[in-house]
Amino acid sequence: MDGVRRGLAAAAALITASGLLAACSANADSGKPELVWYINPDSGGQAAVAKKCSTDDYTITTQVLPQDANQQRIQLARRLAAGDSSIDIMSIDPPYTAEFANAGYLADIPEDLQGKLKDQSFKGATDAATWDGKLVVAPFWSNTQVLWYRKSFVEKAGIDMTKPVTWDQIIDAASKNDGKVAVQANKYEGYVVWINSLIAGAGGEIATDTDKGVDLTLGLDSEAGEKAAGVIEKLAHSKAAPPDLSVSQEGQAGATFGSAQGAFLTNWTYIWTNYDSTQPEVKKDIGYTRYPQTVAGEDSRPPYGGIGIGVSSHSAHVDEAMKAVECLTSPESQGINAEMTGNMPASSAGYDYPALAKIYPEDLLQLFQDSLDAAAPRTVTPYWSDISGGIQSTWHPPASVNSSTPKESQSFIDEVLHGKRLL
Amino acid sequence: MSTTTAGRPGKVVASDRAKAENRLGLKLVAPAVVVMLVVTAYPMIQALYLSLYRYRLTTPDDKEFVGLSNYLTILSDSLFWQDTVNTVIIMIVTVAIELVIGFAFAMVMHRIVFARGAIRTSILIPYGIITVVSAFAWQFTFSINNGWVNSWFAWLPWIGPDTNWFGEHWPAMFAIMVSEIWKTTPFMALLLLAGLSQVSEDMIEAAKVDGATWWQRLWKVILPNMRAAIMVAVLFRALDAFRIFDNIFVMTRGAQDTESSSFLTYRQVIEQFQLGLGSALSVLLFLTVLLLAWLIVKLFRVDLAQARGEG
Amino acid sequence: MNRTRNLIGTWVGFLLILVWCLLPVVWIISLSFKGVGETAAGSPQFLPKDPTLQNYKDILNDGDFLDALRNSFGIALIATFLSVIFATLAAYAIARLEFRGKRLVLSLALAIAMFPVVSLVGPLFDLWRTFHLFNTWPGLIIPYMTFTLPLAIWTLSAFFREIPWEMEQAAQVDGATSWQAFRKVIVPLAAPGVFTAAILTFFFAWNEFVLAISLTSTTKSRTVPAQMSYFVGPDPFNPPYGQLATASVVVTVPIIIIVLLFQRKIVAGLTSGAVKG
Repeated sequence: MDGVRRGLAAAAALITASGLLAACSANADSGKPELVWYINPDSGGQAAVAKKCSTDDYTITTQVLPQDANQQRIQLARRLAAGDSSIDIMSIDPPYTAEFANAGYLADIPEDLQGKLKDQSFKGATDAATWDGKLVVAPFWSNTQVLWYRKSFVEKAGIDMTKPVTWDQIIDAASKNDGKVAVQANKYEGYVVWINSLIAGAGGEIATDTDKGVDLTLGLDSEAGEKAAGVIEKLAHSKAAPPDLSVSQEGQAGATFGSAQGAFLTNWTYIWTNYDSTQPEVKKDIGYTRYPQTVAGEDSRPPYGGIGIGVSSHSAHVDEAMKAVECLTSPESQGINAEMTGNMPASSAGYDYPALAKIYPEDLLQLFQDSLDAAAPRTVTPYWSDISGGIQSTWHPPASVNSSTPKESQSFIDEVLHGKRLL
Repeated sequence: MSTTTAGRPGKVVASDRAKAENRLGLKLVAPAVVVMLVVTAYPMIQALYLSLYRYRLTTPDDKEFVGLSNYLTILSDSLFWQDTVNTVIIMIVTVAIELVIGFAFAMVMHRIVFARGAIRTSILIPYGIITVVSAFAWQFTFSINNGWVNSWFAWLPWIGPDTNWFGEHWPAMFAIMVSEIWKTTPFMALLLLAGLSQVSEDMIEAAKVDGATWWQRLWKVILPNMRAAIMVAVLFRALDAFRIFDNIFVMTRGAQDTESSSFLTYRQVIEQFQLGLGSALSVLLFLTVLLLAWLIVKLFRVDLAQARGEG
Repeated sequence: MNRTRNLIGTWVGFLLILVWCLLPVVWIISLSFKGVGETAAGSPQFLPKDPTLQNYKDILNDGDFLDALRNSFGIALIATFLSVIFATLAAYAIARLEFRGKRLVLSLALAIAMFPVVSLVGPLFDLWRTFHLFNTWPGLIIPYMTFTLPLAIWTLSAFFREIPWEMEQAAQVDGATSWQAFRKVIVPLAAPGVFTAAILTFFFAWNEFVLAISLTSTTKSRTVPAQMSYFVGPDPFNPPYGQLATASVVVTVPIIIIVLLFQRKIVAGLTSGAVKG
């Protein structure tokens, strides 16, 4: 029996020891508060501004979240729901901002800072960061999509790209000239980004009356919804559809665009530097213009993406964290981050950061800013993940979309929101 | 150590000895039982409790007792049944194919006189490899941009450079099943090898002398004599295949209706924060697994006690 | 004639098995030598056009990945060690002693072996937060023990059943102390079984994914399978495939080493646990 007891004691000691070891490494502070910032993975921009914004009063350290935006949301929300105080600052993807704010995970931003942020940020960025009339996260970087095209292809096809183009036009042009229109249409959030922009471009909105919670008004079953479905149906059944359409995300779409058949691509700002080291010949061939119109003559509403920075309401250092956020989202910080990562600033002042002009042509920087002002953020509601999931279930694969899809998806999402269907 | 030896079972034991042995036995199993229960019992009870509520992690104020309505919602939902059907298809197809390939592997390994070490080593690599890695490897294999399947098998009429394996239901299911089969066939083969080594060579020789063909020997002599091994292998693998998760998570994330029951549960609990509905799904999943185990044990009359060496 | 046909058949089978088992492994190794440019642009050919060591350099300079590797080793080794101790105790009792509740223990082990891990992630998360085990080594070690104990107990009790325990008494009669008898006679006989259980447990802990991704949040305790969803390359929207493949190769190396060293024991352990009558 001694042997047994000794074994157990050793086992218990091992478990405790490994726990202590883990605990020790976390508590090496010297009295100066450490603000922990949970960031989405990037190539070092956020770590750099964290270092720059650390002061004598506090140090900002970064912890990386998973690569997938939905996984980021899961990690953060689970821990915030459990009242975790080890998260002070976090980088939040726009579609989940309202969910976090509504659940009380985000500390209120002081009025004066709210005012300052609203003044400096693009309209699209402010819209995406606002819930219940208040700015709940500080817009840090803002992403938008433009229409990228291959100059050689456009020349061959004889299309005038100086005027706004429609989806119909580019699909027809690509079909006729053996080109491909690359978009994001895998079963994931990026597909909903596309659908949202198509609907907004036709004057519609996926949901309104968001203050009513699950009883919000869905706008999928509408003329705008049908227009959007029409574009997707047309592309999916045309020769312009890439073979990997139903699994394509940003990277796959970028690869299609860089291939011999590449013609048109809707994608985020990073595309400009995407081919620098791997396919310099493609880089020289890239042209760009405003996101395509859903309905001819009606201004397009480009997608909005990016990151807003929020402070956890469970943080032990809310005041310090707010000061830190003010510094992290200053136009200069936004510029530093943009230079290192290609994630563009959320404010036009950020675009003045000198280094950016060396990387991007002036008219492209202007196009990004114009697009951000016209951008249509996804509906700001705590139930976005249900709506988005419902759209993904009913609109995927793209080849299955037809004129009845909007109606079906609307009733499906309605049932999901009321707990009558599984998503 | 002296007390340990005192617990050795005699043929006739005095009641004192029996009591001491009983106590020692309980003490020895206690740590293992505690560790097994700590992690499973409380979560199961909590899942049972939460399954009676409408409860979403991000809107805790709306928590409401709803009785069995979560179960009703799930059982009347087509998605639940579709995912159950998917899971059952994956289970049946993979186990059946693994049984055939695994048996062939076992035969070769049993017969082989050279390079035994090499073959055992290579067969253990898929067994030991991380499932996530296996899923990545096969995802790339079937990838339209980076895979070799489309170019190697372009001679087949329905495969071309543009074949998008993850773009449709059945090809995607096929890719998932290939990964699952590749990773777990070695396990099947090893269990069958053990069974094969128990079939007496004399009986096979006798059948041969009687003029039985190879096919007859296989069906009449070999297979019936390794029934126990086959049944145990099927039971283990079927239950394992029913819980398929990692492969789908990596390869399709459930797109093209390739979702499994485990994945559905994961999505509700972890991704949608639907603790109520998700818990109900957890309970149903566990009950299904139990039912499945019971069915296999009853239908095939697998004697687990005997198989494990329990008299 | 028949003999040569058999020999050819065995040879063909042998080669088929080798290809089946190793092709995907070779493929992932080949991928790990493909550069970012090659995978981003699409490279359907099997071997890299322009082999590069860049992915390996990136991985070995990635502090987070090295942390994850350290966590994986630490957690898997401790879980294996403890699980085998507990399983040995329990298996000895089951194989050698008569006590009430034996069947109950066995049924429990069987039920847990079948347990769908996904269904307890949620509650376990809450429980671990309460006990401050979230994102710690013990937070993964404990559930890994839970899920490896059934198989370990199973394998070990089958092994112990085969041990001729009378030899121990015989040695004592010959004048050895009970400790000597235990060490010289029983330990050598039981060791292979313990060893097998240890390897199987290690494989499980090394491979586990669902718990690893749900119960950790920083590189303090995140293991390699979970760390793989944290890679980021020049394209912010897609994981860098070459690095994923490289990480896959790196984590497979220990498995291959273990298999190379101990294949005989693993095969013996896997087969004896399940079918001995």
